[in-house]
Amino acid sequence: MEKLVYLYGIIPTKEKEKHPLPSLKGLDGESDVYSLPFDELDAVVCELDPVEYGEKELEKKTNDAKWLHEKAFHHHEALMKLYENYPIIPMKFCTIYSNHDSLLQTINHHKQRMMEMLDDIADKEEWILKIYCEADKVKQGVASYNEAIEAKKEEIASMSPGRQYLEKRKLDQLIDQETEKEKRAFSEKIHKELAALSVDSEVKKIWKKDVTGRTEEMCWNSVYMLNKSVVDDFLSIVKHQQEKWSVSGWHFELTGPWPSYHFAKVS
Amino acid sequence: MNNGNSPQTTTQSSNLVDVLETVLDKGVVIAGDIRVGIADVELLSIKIRLIVASVDKAKEIGMDWWETDPYLNSKAAEQEQKQLKEENKKLLERLEKLEGKMADNSSRLP
Repeated sequence: MEKLVYLYGIIPTKEKEKHPLPSLKGLDGESDVYSLPFDELDAVVCELDPVEYGEKELEKKTNDAKWLHEKAFHHHEALMKLYENYPIIPMKFCTIYSNHDSLLQTINHHKQRMMEMLDDIADKEEWILKIYCEADKVKQGVASYNEAIEAKKEEIASMSPGRQYLEKRKLDQLIDQETEKEKRAFSEKIHKELAALSVDSEVKKIWKKDVTGRTEEMCWNSVYMLNKSVVDDFLSIVKHQQEKWSVSGWHFELTGPWPSYHFAKVS
Repeated sequence: MNNGNSPQTTTQSSNLVDVLETVLDKGVVIAGDIRVGIADVELLSIKIRLIVASVDKAKEIGMDWWETDPYLNSKAAEQEQKQLKEENKKLLERLEKLEGKMADNSSRLP
């Protein structure tokens, strides 16, 4: 049986000629990572056993959290290593072909688009921003500085004690609502400023605490495609905002540069 | 290219989330021949984080008993059995000596 071909990513052949491929072990920890030249593009791949990594076996493996943890990081680390030397079109985790011919056909089919994309991403970087907040501090801030809430407080002060009790409970609800609005509004404002510097940007899913494992709440998650020339400005804006807002319970977490996982699109 | 903010490959929870949400969910999709979808990125991320967190946390507070707990580690179990056997052997020897002495004593009694 022919070996399966696991595809990590596509790099320009002319870049590979300048820097030889780093020596890496494949997904199974045994095979070597190598590159297959297809005219002007090189496919970075490793070979896998067709029985162990067939569709059914692979599905079992991907449902095993331990395996998935190890292999997802392997994929990530291999791509980061390649990205140190080449512009790369990063493939999604577990993109596997049944043989070389099948891979060749697919690459030929997308070749034009891939060439353009590699040109396009060569001078760009992808950065991910996550904004976390200490919910209590943000709530406190809202309770003491929000106009709608100030007005309500004054209104309550002039009421009878009985009404005051009911209205105070309503006020608490109002504070909660305004806090939620504030989380969104604050993050959107930061995002707008950063997006204006970017070639492209995307708002991503907000993860709950059981995914992040943090005590602070995630209120924003987004990704930016930046021209290399503006990366320094971008970083200093985030740093400045962090310094300005950390006292109020806002925390910025920026990671990058990443291979263009979000903005390299073939079809 | 590196400037201190690069994505890290440590087990820190935040980076863990970054890597999982990106690698499992993003990247260029051109249909391969072997099709596999990651069933539920959120659920698997939680599981993975729990595995990482529990190991990290346990080590942090010096809780590595499972490495020597006979129920959790077969090597430790083997070691324990060996120790028990030796202890048994020593106890038996002592017992035999004592019984011998007693026999000596009783034979000397009038």
